[in-house]
Amino acid sequence: MHENGVRALDGVSLKIGSAETVAIVGENGAGKTTLVKHVTGLLKPAAGDVVVDGQNTRTTSTAQLSRKVGVAFQNPDHQLFSENVEQEMSFALRNFGFAPELVEQRVRWGLELFGLEEYRKSSPLVLSGGEKKRLTLACILAWDPEVVILDEPTVGQDSIQKEKLAGTIRMLTSSGKTVVVVSHDIEFLWPMQPRVVVMKAGRVLGDGPAAGLMQDRALLDSARVAQPQLVEFFEHLGARPGAPFADPLEARRWAEGTSK
Amino acid sequence: MMWLSGGFIFRRGTSVYHRLDPRVKLLNSVLMFATTLLVRSLYELAGVLAFMIAVAAVAKVLRRVSRTMLFTAGFSVFIFVVNFIFQRNLETSLLYAARFVAIVVSTSLFFITASPDELEQVMKTFRLPRDVVFAFVTAVRFIPVMFLDTIQIMDAQKSRGLELEKGNALKRVRNMIPVLIPLVVNSVVRSGELAEAMESRAYGASQKPTSLVEYKARTADRAVAAAAVILFALAAYSFYFVFPARIL
Repeated sequence: MHENGVRALDGVSLKIGSAETVAIVGENGAGKTTLVKHVTGLLKPAAGDVVVDGQNTRTTSTAQLSRKVGVAFQNPDHQLFSENVEQEMSFALRNFGFAPELVEQRVRWGLELFGLEEYRKSSPLVLSGGEKKRLTLACILAWDPEVVILDEPTVGQDSIQKEKLAGTIRMLTSSGKTVVVVSHDIEFLWPMQPRVVVMKAGRVLGDGPAAGLMQDRALLDSARVAQPQLVEFFEHLGARPGAPFADPLEARRWAEGTSK
Repeated sequence: MMWLSGGFIFRRGTSVYHRLDPRVKLLNSVLMFATTLLVRSLYELAGVLAFMIAVAAVAKVLRRVSRTMLFTAGFSVFIFVVNFIFQRNLETSLLYAARFVAIVVSTSLFFITASPDELEQVMKTFRLPRDVVFAFVTAVRFIPVMFLDTIQIMDAQKSRGLELEKGNALKRVRNMIPVLIPLVVNSVVRSGELAEAMESRAYGASQKPTSLVEYKARTADRAVAAAAVILFALAAYSFYFVFPARIL
């Protein structure tokens, strides 16, 4: 609830399970970032409860919750401050009291995963926008949280980095992590086929598998969310007799050579 | 702290006071400021503060002014303690501490009811150099932006396990380093980007750029300005000639 009485979130009820990949989509001001800030305990609900792994966020500090929930915020410039990339990555690990050898191991792992080894001793402030974004993601993954929240992770990333990021998200999900992605980048989200939560004006308009939800044109239009290009293409193609594929996912699999 | 400091930031309003000519609002604040410097007793200061609160009520910013007062309370206590240690006079120390609150409220009343655009126009009427006006108004305009930045940076660092409120005073100051460095770096980067954006939009190309706003005082503005001057004169006269000085 804002100071001026506006409800930033209204009647939101969600249950997210472990190893689930959830995409939260919606226009600017829909309440996506506000929702994830409730999960981390940065914001407390005016009514209702947010429970993370059995812990109510009202009674748990953000520092305690952050051990389980890692958030990579939209603007990397809001968190980078250390003398070099290595120290930046170890900041949270030291806050959580990790042993020095484990800190070193996790830092090395994160730098390798995101292709940042060469910048280990560089100031994080001199990195490019995309590199800073990758560094913030590496910082979060370094302490291995159970829930990973990525707020607009594809901003400033080229197509190769986006593919790598999608691979990292799949890897996290397959290792049992819960991944929540807040993004406007539908083309990035759709191939991962996550559960999609569509938001508008603080409310959840739709919640379900991407395969079905992304074909609901009326819902997406009302939330001002773009339909994936391939889905849109298939809507036009589906009307023609003898269409070669049953649905856009099948076409994608065929194009990638993974079709049975 | 963020909630308290919000008491200094302009928000659009529709009150009679908001609609006044910004030059009149400035005159009012300057006269209220001067009056707080003229008072010589706590009773007089209480009267001046009551007048300011009445102005705040008319401007419908009473809650925000109360935030301003709460924000200054910490500094005010410091002023009281320092004065009491060196002067050993309770009433004088209280007067100085309360005067500080009144001074801040008088200036805050201008800044929370005059938009940065109005501030710019007021400064232009004093024929100040354009660069000076631009720099000052931009600084004022960016205060809320920096508050927002601070909140976002604090959120980001708290999400990495930083406990800002943990430890003794020295530790708490050290905890602020991860917040202050990004804040300063962002501000420097932003100012550089702003300068480039302004230059690319022909800032400084003309010695006399077009002004879209020309303030013309209405009868109501003149009446309020005249009333403010008369009230100030009456207050000054009564402080020195009607009531005997209690302090100083």
